[in-house]
Amino acid sequence: MTEQTSLREQRQIQLEEHESYFNLVWRKFRKSRVAIAGGLIVLALAVLAIFSSFFSPYDPVKLNMRSGYTPPSRIHFTDVNGTFYGRPFVYQWKQVVDENMYMHWVEDTGTLYFVNFFVQGWEYKWLGLFPTRLHLYGVAEPGTIYILGTDKFGRDIFGRMCLAGRISLAMSLFGTFISVAVGSVLGVVSGYYGGRFDNYLQRFVEFVQSFPQLPLWMALAAVIPSTWDQMAVFIAMSTIFALLSWTLLAREIRGKVMAMRETDFVLAAREMGASDMRIIFYHLYPNTLSHTIVVLTLTIPSIILAESFLSFLGIGIQEPLVSWGVMMREAQTIQTLGFNQWIIAPVLFILLAVLGFNFLGDGLRDAADPYTIT
Amino acid sequence: MTEPKKILLEVKDLKQYFPIRRGTFRREKGYVKAVDGLSFFVREEEVLGLVGESGCGKTTAGRTILRLYDPTAGEIWYTRQDGQRINIATISQKEMKPLRREMRMIFQDPFSSLNPRRTVKEIIGEPLVIHNVARGRELEERVAELMKAVGLDPNYMERYPHEFSGGQRQRIGIARTLSLSPRLIIADEPVSALDVSIQAQVLNLLQSLKMDLGLTMIFIAHDLSVVEHISDRIAVMYVGKLVELSTTEAVLYHPRHPYTEALVSAIPPADPDIHFSRIRLEGEVPSPANPPAGCVFHPRCRYAQERCRVLEPTLVEIEPEHFVSCHFATELHLRGIGGNNVA
Repeated sequence: MTEQTSLREQRQIQLEEHESYFNLVWRKFRKSRVAIAGGLIVLALAVLAIFSSFFSPYDPVKLNMRSGYTPPSRIHFTDVNGTFYGRPFVYQWKQVVDENMYMHWVEDTGTLYFVNFFVQGWEYKWLGLFPTRLHLYGVAEPGTIYILGTDKFGRDIFGRMCLAGRISLAMSLFGTFISVAVGSVLGVVSGYYGGRFDNYLQRFVEFVQSFPQLPLWMALAAVIPSTWDQMAVFIAMSTIFALLSWTLLAREIRGKVMAMRETDFVLAAREMGASDMRIIFYHLYPNTLSHTIVVLTLTIPSIILAESFLSFLGIGIQEPLVSWGVMMREAQTIQTLGFNQWIIAPVLFILLAVLGFNFLGDGLRDAADPYTIT
Repeated sequence: MTEPKKILLEVKDLKQYFPIRRGTFRREKGYVKAVDGLSFFVREEEVLGLVGESGCGKTTAGRTILRLYDPTAGEIWYTRQDGQRINIATISQKEMKPLRREMRMIFQDPFSSLNPRRTVKEIIGEPLVIHNVARGRELEERVAELMKAVGLDPNYMERYPHEFSGGQRQRIGIARTLSLSPRLIIADEPVSALDVSIQAQVLNLLQSLKMDLGLTMIFIAHDLSVVEHISDRIAVMYVGKLVELSTTEAVLYHPRHPYTEALVSAIPPADPDIHFSRIRLEGEVPSPANPPAGCVFHPRCRYAQERCRVLEPTLVEIEPEHFVSCHFATELHLRGIGGNNVA
């Protein structure tokens, strides 16, 4: 028998193919429809954000003052004469002035522009790597299609929403990652060692928690120098959100670890001669993972909301970076909003993102602990 | 009788007090004297049964001997393979680590003593990994051997603990304990969490392992019927102290301490026709935080006299190999199994 012959062959042991942790989680997760819906929403938003250029027929940062505040294009299948076309088309909006000198947007039914799919448009780099001109949809020149209208500068709102998703989602993910890393490590250590260290850390947690969040965010965000480049601001903002949201997780993990610290399997590990590090990271931490995953999915929407809020107030992300909150800034005055209702559209994505992550978290909470006999 | 084997472990006047802290400033308001002056020894290849009611400090004693707790006072002398004697009570955890290969524990609760997130292979192999004994394929092979030794199918090594029954889980725990071929095993009520039918299986397994591997064991139980078959000698504990220590036969048939007599009377006879007259002890086990003066057993003792309330008895060897802690050990006529009275 050669060296290479595996143990399994030698002993004729047919080790059964065992389901991995993620398989087990997936099997349980799949049963919850709400969780699947949440997952799909999140996935869809992520795809829209990552391939935002593909989904926007016009360059979302290029100014086009003449078409400022254009209403959303209406998708038609039948023209004004009642003729049915088998494919969607749009009319152009034009401004007319009525007898009371009010301006109105009316559709110019003279020319119809068919919506084409997979068209060539403005040039961008696919995933930042390969230059391409391919876009999901568009209409022939000189027609335009703005499915959610345009903002003050004539930029396609849908395209900008997709682009803004990059910052909003990336910031919440990055912030949550820092928050969970800090929160879970401090929570496990605090719960495991207890004593004086735990006492000091918990008093610090209370100190952080007792800050009124909003003014503190504002103060910290205001401290970021305006001369910093975009990336630095992005990281600084994420860190600010993370440093204020880790406390909840730290508390909860600490509680779980304190309960687990006295269980026999931790005692057994100590009896074997396992080091503290091994007990913490090999035995205790994996057992808090299900909890961490749930808190993670709940921290993400809270950071999305916080970011939108700060950006809405004008102290978060600044142009030319664009996030959902930045886009909402334009909707700050009733007047603008009253005439151009479509500029509130980014709220839709914020809502979807928050709901999606909450549904996902709900499903994960039930699925993340497959090792219990139910 | 063959020549007595060498002493592997000797415990001298071991004390384990846990402070009671109360109030805002967590000041020490007293002590729970979980183990209060325990002395005994274990010979090589011998099984010592440690018996007592729950809360009498058996488990604490076991854990203190393995330095899972730091003892308050006393000495724990362990003899290594080369004859070197080490006082475990005073060495550091770092110095303790190599000894953890030789002294292992079987835990009481097979449900909480296995990490639910680790496979059986990882659980049984963990001591081997910690002590750098085996890795990879070698580890897998060793785990398969151990699983066979305790009567588990090695095909199941990739499974998680929740997929096993209580008896199987206890076998996993035993395999983990055996993985480093220990010289001393402290079995902390290894069967009390199991069904009676499974208890017998696990006891038989331990019995055969003892025969095959020549294990030295301290077998902790709250029930004499569990230890009577496996033990060579039995030590009876009451509220942190030893009340009687002798060979299994002497303890069962000729008990010299009133508490042992009551325990022995609680062993149900195998024959249902035999009249089963159990001695019922009055009252509760005293709190180890506030033990009674004099003999700790006197409030519940049928034979207690004035002397017992005042003077604390010491553990005395009244016959060879028979230690009793009672003022009237030689005077009382106590009942053993089958109503045998001591002359």
